[in-house]
Amino acid sequence: MTQTTVTVGLGSCGIAAGAGKTFEKIKAMKETEKLDFILKKTSCIGMCYREPLVEIRDESGTYIYGDVNEGRAIEVIEKHINQKDPIRDYIVYSDLFDAPENNFLNTQVKIVLRNCGFMDPESIEEYEVREGYRAIGKIAAEKITRPEVIQTVLDSGIRGRGGGGFPTGLKWKFANANKSAEKYVICNADEGDPGAFMDRSVLEGDPHSVLEGMIIAAYAIEATQGVIYCRAEYPLAIKRLNIALKQARDKGYLGKNIFGLGFDFDIYIKEGAGAFVCGEETALIASVEGERGMPRKRPPFPAASGLWKKPTNINNVETFANIPWIILNGAAAFAAYGTQKSKGTKVFALAGKVSHSGLVEVPMGMTIRDVIFKLGGGIKKDKKFKAVQMGGPSGGCIPEYLADTIVDYDSVNATGAIMGSGGMVVMDETTCMVDVAKFFLDFTRKESCGKCTFCRMGTMRMQEILERITNGKGVEGDLEKLEELAYQIKDNSLCGLGQTAPNPVLTTIKYFRDEYEAHIFHKKCPAKVCRPLLTYTVDQEKCTGCLVCLKNCPVKAITGERKQPHFINQDICTKCGVCFSKCKFDSIVLS
Amino acid sequence: MTDNFFNIILDGNIVKGNPGETILELSRRHGIEIPTLCNDDRLEPFTSCYVCVVEIEGIRGHQPACSTKITEGMKIITDNEDIRKSRKMALELMLSNHYADCIGPCRQTCPAGVDVQGYISLIEKGLYNDAVALIKETNPLPAICGRVCVRPCEAECRRNLLGENAPVGIDYLKRFASDIDLESSTKFIPEKKPSSGKKVAIIGAGPGGLSAAYFLQINGHQADIFEASEKSGGWLRYGIPEYRLPNDIVDKEVKNITDLGVNIHYNKKLGGNLSYKELKEKYNAIILTIGSQRGTGIGCEGDDAENVFSGIDFLRNMEATGQRYDFTGKTIAVIGGGNTAMDCCRTSIRCNAKKVYIIYRRTEKEMPANPIEIHESKLEGVEYLFLTLPNKVNKDTDGKLKSITCIRMELGEPDASGRRRPIPVEGSEFTIEVDYALAAIGQKTDVNFIGDINEFAEEGSLQINKWGDIDARKDTLQTGIPSVFAAGDGVTGPATIIEAIAQAKIASTSAHQYLMNLPIEPAKKTFTSRRDNFRKQVPQDYADRFGKQLREEMPTLAPDQRFNFNEVELGYESESIANQETQRCLECGCVAFLDCDLQKYSTAFNANQKGFTGEFKEFNVDFRHPYIEIDNNKCILCGRCIRICREVVGASALGFINRGFDTFVAPSMGDALQDTFCESCGMCLSTCPTGAITENVLFKPGPVKTEEARTICNYCSVGCSIILNHRNGFVMKVTGNKGTVNHDGNLCKYPKFGYQYLNDPERITRPMLKVNGEFQAISFEEALSLIKEKITSVNPDENAFFAGARLSNEEMYLVQKLARAAAKTNNIAGFHYLGRGNAYRLNCELNVPMGNIREASKIFLMGTEINKDHAVTGFLVQNTRHLKRIPVSLITVKENNSMKHKVDEVVKIGSYYYFIKTVNHFLLTNGMENSLFLNDRTTGFEDYKTALLKENYERLVKLSGISGKEMIAQFAEDYNKQMNAVLIFSEKEISSAASTELFILAMITGKLGKTANGIISLKEKNNSQGLFDMGITPDAGPGGQSLRNPDFRQLLKEKWQTDTLPKDIPDLLKLLTGNAIRNLFIFGEDPVGCATVENPKEWIRNADFVMVQDYFMTATALEADLVMPATFPAETGGSYTNAQKVIQEFDALMKPKTEMTSLGQLSAMLEKFGFATLASPKDVFMEFISLLPQKKDHSKLSFHATGEDDFTRIFDHGCDSVVKRFEEEFETAFPEK
Repeated sequence: MTQTTVTVGLGSCGIAAGAGKTFEKIKAMKETEKLDFILKKTSCIGMCYREPLVEIRDESGTYIYGDVNEGRAIEVIEKHINQKDPIRDYIVYSDLFDAPENNFLNTQVKIVLRNCGFMDPESIEEYEVREGYRAIGKIAAEKITRPEVIQTVLDSGIRGRGGGGFPTGLKWKFANANKSAEKYVICNADEGDPGAFMDRSVLEGDPHSVLEGMIIAAYAIEATQGVIYCRAEYPLAIKRLNIALKQARDKGYLGKNIFGLGFDFDIYIKEGAGAFVCGEETALIASVEGERGMPRKRPPFPAASGLWKKPTNINNVETFANIPWIILNGAAAFAAYGTQKSKGTKVFALAGKVSHSGLVEVPMGMTIRDVIFKLGGGIKKDKKFKAVQMGGPSGGCIPEYLADTIVDYDSVNATGAIMGSGGMVVMDETTCMVDVAKFFLDFTRKESCGKCTFCRMGTMRMQEILERITNGKGVEGDLEKLEELAYQIKDNSLCGLGQTAPNPVLTTIKYFRDEYEAHIFHKKCPAKVCRPLLTYTVDQEKCTGCLVCLKNCPVKAITGERKQPHFINQDICTKCGVCFSKCKFDSIVLS
Repeated sequence: MTDNFFNIILDGNIVKGNPGETILELSRRHGIEIPTLCNDDRLEPFTSCYVCVVEIEGIRGHQPACSTKITEGMKIITDNEDIRKSRKMALELMLSNHYADCIGPCRQTCPAGVDVQGYISLIEKGLYNDAVALIKETNPLPAICGRVCVRPCEAECRRNLLGENAPVGIDYLKRFASDIDLESSTKFIPEKKPSSGKKVAIIGAGPGGLSAAYFLQINGHQADIFEASEKSGGWLRYGIPEYRLPNDIVDKEVKNITDLGVNIHYNKKLGGNLSYKELKEKYNAIILTIGSQRGTGIGCEGDDAENVFSGIDFLRNMEATGQRYDFTGKTIAVIGGGNTAMDCCRTSIRCNAKKVYIIYRRTEKEMPANPIEIHESKLEGVEYLFLTLPNKVNKDTDGKLKSITCIRMELGEPDASGRRRPIPVEGSEFTIEVDYALAAIGQKTDVNFIGDINEFAEEGSLQINKWGDIDARKDTLQTGIPSVFAAGDGVTGPATIIEAIAQAKIASTSAHQYLMNLPIEPAKKTFTSRRDNFRKQVPQDYADRFGKQLREEMPTLAPDQRFNFNEVELGYESESIANQETQRCLECGCVAFLDCDLQKYSTAFNANQKGFTGEFKEFNVDFRHPYIEIDNNKCILCGRCIRICREVVGASALGFINRGFDTFVAPSMGDALQDTFCESCGMCLSTCPTGAITENVLFKPGPVKTEEARTICNYCSVGCSIILNHRNGFVMKVTGNKGTVNHDGNLCKYPKFGYQYLNDPERITRPMLKVNGEFQAISFEEALSLIKEKITSVNPDENAFFAGARLSNEEMYLVQKLARAAAKTNNIAGFHYLGRGNAYRLNCELNVPMGNIREASKIFLMGTEINKDHAVTGFLVQNTRHLKRIPVSLITVKENNSMKHKVDEVVKIGSYYYFIKTVNHFLLTNGMENSLFLNDRTTGFEDYKTALLKENYERLVKLSGISGKEMIAQFAEDYNKQMNAVLIFSEKEISSAASTELFILAMITGKLGKTANGIISLKEKNNSQGLFDMGITPDAGPGGQSLRNPDFRQLLKEKWQTDTLPKDIPDLLKLLTGNAIRNLFIFGEDPVGCATVENPKEWIRNADFVMVQDYFMTATALEADLVMPATFPAETGGSYTNAQKVIQEFDALMKPKTEMTSLGQLSAMLEKFGFATLASPKDVFMEFISLLPQKKDHSKLSFHATGEDDFTRIFDHGCDSVVKRFEEEFETAFPEK
């Protein structure tokens, strides 16, 4: 008989939802009541919208409970463990019956996230049990040569998951070709897109897979030193990485003569200060060198002259996490997933107006619509799906009518958006596209390192035009000026930040030009978001003259007698919306 | 691809590119200028400005030329419409956050664009002729304008914002300089271009006509003026009364113009006794500067009454007839509020009027007249009737004026002119009794010659515009007849003198273009950034930044002295008052205006500062550093200052703060610059492409155009080529020149900031003899005779001669010739090396060329604080370290060596001499010598080895002052194993004996005489080496040849044509300390001021007669009996020999401030003794060359054993008062450090 295990999800999302208390409660119950189960920790399984999650695995099967606060924890332990009576209402996933979120997990293909949520990330042994360090072991055992490793990665077709989409194998090949006594492997863990947390989940949930990926890369290119450039805002990830590094060193997986392969390699963590631009590889290198994180011209590419001017290979977290799986399962197994030019899977962080926000890993080739509706559960409150922003602030908006675009680097690029690192912000009919463009541009403009004139000044001037438009002060020619600036910024910037910063504006202009025009020429915000453009009026038919709005108006813009229809003085109204929310008769009209 | 180059298609041409070079470098090599702001050849490419973008076939978007390396077959387009559009946008984006003024509002406002800030700067320096020259670039009548200009510049002057209620006295200053220039023997006379053979007729000798004639005449054309009146000046003479503008001033300025060759034909009236037909036949072009001649009446009922006339007729008649009106007992009403009204009322007072009214329909605030005029008129007793309009002129029965009925007005809404429109108040009529009424309310242009012109015009016709003035194209002032141009009031209607002058410049330029068959087009608009493009300037912007200083008011005649036509304004009384007033200039314009790249490109690309508007940053200027000021408002974030400070200087004193739009440049950690590792070298200044980092100067830098005097720095022995940017001898700034040693034009703080002495008014310019304890100026002849008398009055060896290490080779040579050939003594030396041993003599012989530092595998700094004392060499070291990661080791006895943070390791020792000697001992004991090298290249090794190994190793270790014995082995092994070890030391720290041991170290290890393997020895002064080469030592003559050598003695006798030469080789130090010297002749040294011990003062005092030649009254000069004035290197010319024996010549490019140069004085002294004249540095140098042996044997290096250390330094600062002055100034500038 297998012993029952109770596993609490303690990723950042879980902790934020209160999983720490849940864990402590279960632990306390286990100790005081001397209950017979193994209590374990794991990390995010992607179902962030249901956190805290508690998985119970017993002889009968696997059950995942959702929204397990302290109160529910007592209930669940009481019923399920003590009385062997699972609480069906709380179960979100089970392999025994049709639970509400079964579809969420079953539709996914987990390669990157193969271990996340299934093991204790602070245990190297659990990783080993789940075939950890088996890939590098295989290389040693089968005496797989460096070119063969590189060829396998090439054959798998994996492309850079950080957003660039450059073939990983090719990058390794270049780095390998440049001979030098010192070479570096850098893991880019400077995940900076607002709302994206794919890398954080992997680092928190499966740090060893990243280390193993780096070790394999180091072997392939003959690197001597590895660096994980991780943003300091990820303390849990850094903590778990440090634990993993120590464990790996203790086991001899890092250090001298690794796996008897005759090469020495170690890794240290460099904490970044949270500058978005440091995700750009040349800026990242400058930052690791202790300089201000500013990009420089490529070529030379890091593969030729990177960290300390030595050949350097930089991949992101997700890419490295794929590598051990590819080595173990072979290039063909990986390439079996996906489309002709985009192989394998991709992790997405679903956010915005989607019902189920969280992490999903899907095979390349799935349509965006399926990702949103099948995995994401559709739009919240059954509003109308309007668009999805892909690729974070560097990406673009894909309108609803292009939602059948498949997840694949080239198909997404064709829309004007990018795959990016996997952010998907879903928007519904209540989202103003001008406002969205302004939001993303505001982010990139503030994150510009300030080096290139166009990026530094041009994004600022674009931002000011967008401000003007959303404030109802747009003038004819603004759209043309925006476009002119946007194209010049794209053409005249050194790094990806500047080259892509105008994308949200350009794609929204491309797909939602009428919304811009409504703002500029008709001084209207069709989504009713841009406050200066809104007008609140009283529907004279519906108004009962109850005086509620009048009393609540903070600027005394409303006049009217009891039982007489009221009137809003537009010169005074500040468009705060209080009347709208207070009226019980829907007689305040927003237009 | 071949082995050596790439084939590139550059703008359609196939060119060869060097692998590794960038598109920018390639283009420059092929003469294609690509604009760039962030690139500096001295730095690694950065790529931020994006002005250098180009297109490369096959690559999307634009590529920055500065950092894109060429590849085989690359097809590059460096210029097309798309590229220009991008470049322009880059500039406009930068300009949209460039809250700064290129030029001040004064110049911006002046119709003629006179460079006010520039001439104020020149007046500050007493350069009055230069100031007038600058003014006359755009205004040929400064003495006139200096009196009567309406001064729109002063209205805009930002001093007005400081609550002192008075702008800078711009016009007063102009008048001051112009009056001096008018009477000056060195008055400014413009250069004239060669004659074009073309002739221009100018109609009217008013300000417009005179100016047009001036500009045309200096452009090479013959300008003839035809004037209807008897005399010149137009309204200057006939309109403006003499108490404001005396006729003799008009005459003098007109004479300046006629002296250039301009002819004025009087009593010639176009359309009258002069026909266009005649002019057309004789002249190639015509300029009509006819003025606005006709006055207008009051414009109310009865204004045809007798005794009512126009103000201008009133003024003109008096001037034309020479008869003044007699208004005794009369009441005069002047109608109008402009300057003509002022002239009328003040003239009426002077014509003895009983009462004078000004009748004006608005209030004083709206009066167009100059406020100063209103003020003066009130002083003189004029009564004002504001808000009053004459309604009717009442006549007596004879039709004579009796009284005027007026109506009161009130101000309504503003009209088109922006002034509030006066509206009559009903029923407010009143009547005043007057005898005369003068209408000063407007003038009309008289165009009665137009028929004459059009009758004979062959092409086109002259038109009149709707205001009755001559119709001409606004921007070129060409009329309907292509060869006829027009300017001044005749075109604009009644306006100001300065507007007429401005128009004359335009019309004369157009006429010039016409005459030269060039397309007639307006001058290209120069881009100017303006703070007012961002927002209006308010008092708060200036209040805290400038101290209060009241205006120096114009002295005037007392009011009771004014009942005549004497000039009321008397002009500033003294230069010091004028200078005081110049200090009030806030210098709103940018000091970098003349060499700002941003401005240059913005003009070239026709950029518009308002192309993009939005948020902009405002910064306070950071003045905290005594030499460097940072104005972030002007910064374009190219990062050049930050990078040069990191890559070349190594101080990393500057950095970027914040991100995105909020990014700015600031001293690291936000401190003041002097609290960082800043070395005050000024390299950041040298690279800034705008005016964001500039020199914090004590004078007003203008900016003004300067002349360049290229010379060699006279501080240290590196031998940098520098440029003294001066205006008529006043050095405004010093910049680097790409020289033999400083290839990339780098400079350190000494030349960059240590030039104030060149401008010091305290300089000695005449020989000064001490009589009864006081210095008195005497003539050179007297001084030279005295010197001869003194030399010959004592025994030869009772004379001693000293030449400073700052003197040129030529001066040194003559000093020793004077000693040896004339005074017959070998008592000749420099205090510089006195008592410091002999081995320094050899230091330079075996140096590695400075540039080879770049090839080093490791650099060893032996003690030298290279960043302070020889910074340009230090830059090479740091740049090598930065670019190639070459390690630098510092071996130092100082706990707080200032190089610590710029090296990779610090070896702390107690004594250089013993440390090196111990290392040598260690190497020899352990058989680590390079025998091959020793055998082939050296002599005397075995003797040295024997001597050294006899010494006790433990004792040497102890004397080395090291913390552990292993340091010896570590250093020895590290140094020995280097492929290319460059060891650098300076004589400032390293004794003569220690330097010998260092060379021995290099010989033992075989690291001498190879390209990047060896020693660089640096000396303290620019010509320390010259002292050895020129014979400034008792025992060796020119070329370092021994005076005991009979062949050499014979040669000297022949060349110097003398029978006797001194034989004894004295010990000069001993003679000095033994009081055996009676006469001391000291050239360019300050042993008293620079002494570290007391003795030198005694030596000087104990002598009977002391002569000092120097620039200033140094501490030594004060002790002297005779002080001779020295001339600066750039005034004298000559050559220096740097620490690496590079001889660099420099010319005399600045006018000496003395009658005789330093060198000339030496030559004259020798002449007194019957020696031939050596007129120029070149002559001296040739004589020196003739004394050198034909061949020198360098085949073997020899070992010299050293005894014990002998480090004595009797003098600091290289014994040079100039070095001392700057080093002390520098130290006091940073009280904390």
